[in-house]
Amino acid sequence: MTDKPAISVQDLTKDFRVGLRGVKLRAVDHLTLSIPRGQVYGLLGPNGCGKSTTLKIVLGLVPATSGSFTLLGHDSASPEARARIGFLPEAPYFHRFLTGRELVRYCARLSGVAADRVDAATDEALELASMTEAGNRRVGTYSKGMLQRIGLAQAVVHDPELIVLDEPTAGVDPVGSAAIGKMIQAMRQRGKTIVLCSHLLGQVEQVCDRIAVMDRGRLVLEGHIDEVLAQRGVHQISVEGLTPAARQAAEEALSRHGAHVLKVDHPRQTLEDLFRQLVTGSRD
Amino acid sequence: MFSRIFWIARVTFLEALRQRFLAFLLLLAAAFILGSVPLRSIDFGHGELKFLADLGFGALFLFGSILAVVLPSQLLYGEIDNRTALTLLAKPVGRGEFLLGKFFGSWAVLGVFTFALTGLIGIILLVREPDVVARAIALQVVPPEVSVVGLFEHALLQWLRLGIIVSLALLVGSLAQTFLYTVVVGSMAVLASQLVWIAQDTLANPEAVLSTVMRGALWLTTRVFPNLQGYNIGEALVLGQSTVVPGTVGSLCLSAAVYLVLILFLACTAFRRREI
Repeated sequence: MTDKPAISVQDLTKDFRVGLRGVKLRAVDHLTLSIPRGQVYGLLGPNGCGKSTTLKIVLGLVPATSGSFTLLGHDSASPEARARIGFLPEAPYFHRFLTGRELVRYCARLSGVAADRVDAATDEALELASMTEAGNRRVGTYSKGMLQRIGLAQAVVHDPELIVLDEPTAGVDPVGSAAIGKMIQAMRQRGKTIVLCSHLLGQVEQVCDRIAVMDRGRLVLEGHIDEVLAQRGVHQISVEGLTPAARQAAEEALSRHGAHVLKVDHPRQTLEDLFRQLVTGSRD
Repeated sequence: MFSRIFWIARVTFLEALRQRFLAFLLLLAAAFILGSVPLRSIDFGHGELKFLADLGFGALFLFGSILAVVLPSQLLYGEIDNRTALTLLAKPVGRGEFLLGKFFGSWAVLGVFTFALTGLIGIILLVREPDVVARAIALQVVPPEVSVVGLFEHALLQWLRLGIIVSLALLVGSLAQTFLYTVVVGSMAVLASQLVWIAQDTLANPEAVLSTVMRGALWLTTRVFPNLQGYNIGEALVLGQSTVVPGTVGSLCLSAAVYLVLILFLACTAFRRREI
């Protein structure tokens, strides 16, 4: 069973009927995709490209117009498959009157966690999401970052094999976003398969093993992150203490071997890295 | 399965208790019932206790029906619009379990509503009873008597009737796309169910001149909509103003159970096909 992909989609199409005349709008167009187990998989694309619809179809929340798909080798409608997945929808809303701990306990119960394991599973999930201290506060008092983190806790409370995160960092500040990135890394280390749907390309680049890019319902690129990003004909060398004379000598040596220096400049860190160095924590 | 339904119902119940709409209707109904006390002298010649019971039961049914249509619709659409339903239905929770959880949670709230208001009506009737009895004895007429058992039976029947309305609202909500549409169509279904006795009486009247189409339409109406007016026997149960045929309460409970199972089955079937 484990050799089967976490998610397998074959020739999937989804049409929505919109307006009074029922005009057909194609959200997913003959998509074929295979998401391997044990990896962090990024599903990218602009708004309305069909990412969320694809995930909803695979999770059995929306029926497909045509095509087939399996979740951990099972039909997605089967309770066996559902019990082994965790899902964090985009911009999640949870019952405001429950405390974070009550919410995670509620989700644990619904996910089939045994009654004698519920408390321990809740504690573990809250700890993973760094929400142990805020767990006794009402969800209505949480910041956006905390809502995402408690959403992540409810998604993993039953120790699922596959975790689907739809825009987990939407509206979250860079520090919170980095914390969620760390949680994703921690889950990968535990051998989980994570499907990450995100617009934050920098974060996707940092945490994903493979990516798929969708546009207008179609798959336009799929592959290992290093393979799809590498510029094969160009190399990059980082040098320390480069004097003008050394630079000239290096250029002449390269030129003798038919290579040309295209650009010499100082490496830049990302603004996100700089921000995270300057700001050590959020107000959560 | 039952555990998941229980947990969804529990959270639905807790959420519903926090709805301002519930508090508003409960206070309005209570004010209406309490407001009948100073007006009891205007009893239209039917007796004070009957006047108080009529107004109380009327308020219970009117405000209860509004709540039974609006509350489950609001809770169902709230979960769908806020995407909480997405989170829950991605778990090993069946759509039927989700809908049944919503039903039992809403119905439990209506149970609190029904029994709280019936308790208030009962207190008013029992407080006024000694005066009315003393007056009746002085006038040498048969004194009325408030039956606590009858009051409980009436509350149970009203709770079942409101349960049927909740299930109708959820059936409409499973098919409809908007909250407003659910409330409007749900209210019309309740009105039709409340008036279905007219169709039954017309069909049973041998002197009624009806075309085949009209007869067919009336027959269909009596089969599709439950007769909610049939549950309106509070006066007979509580004040003994008319005779209740033995077994009526049991028969009404059974009929309500059949309607609940049937309507909820249809609602769950419709909800399974719905796009969330």
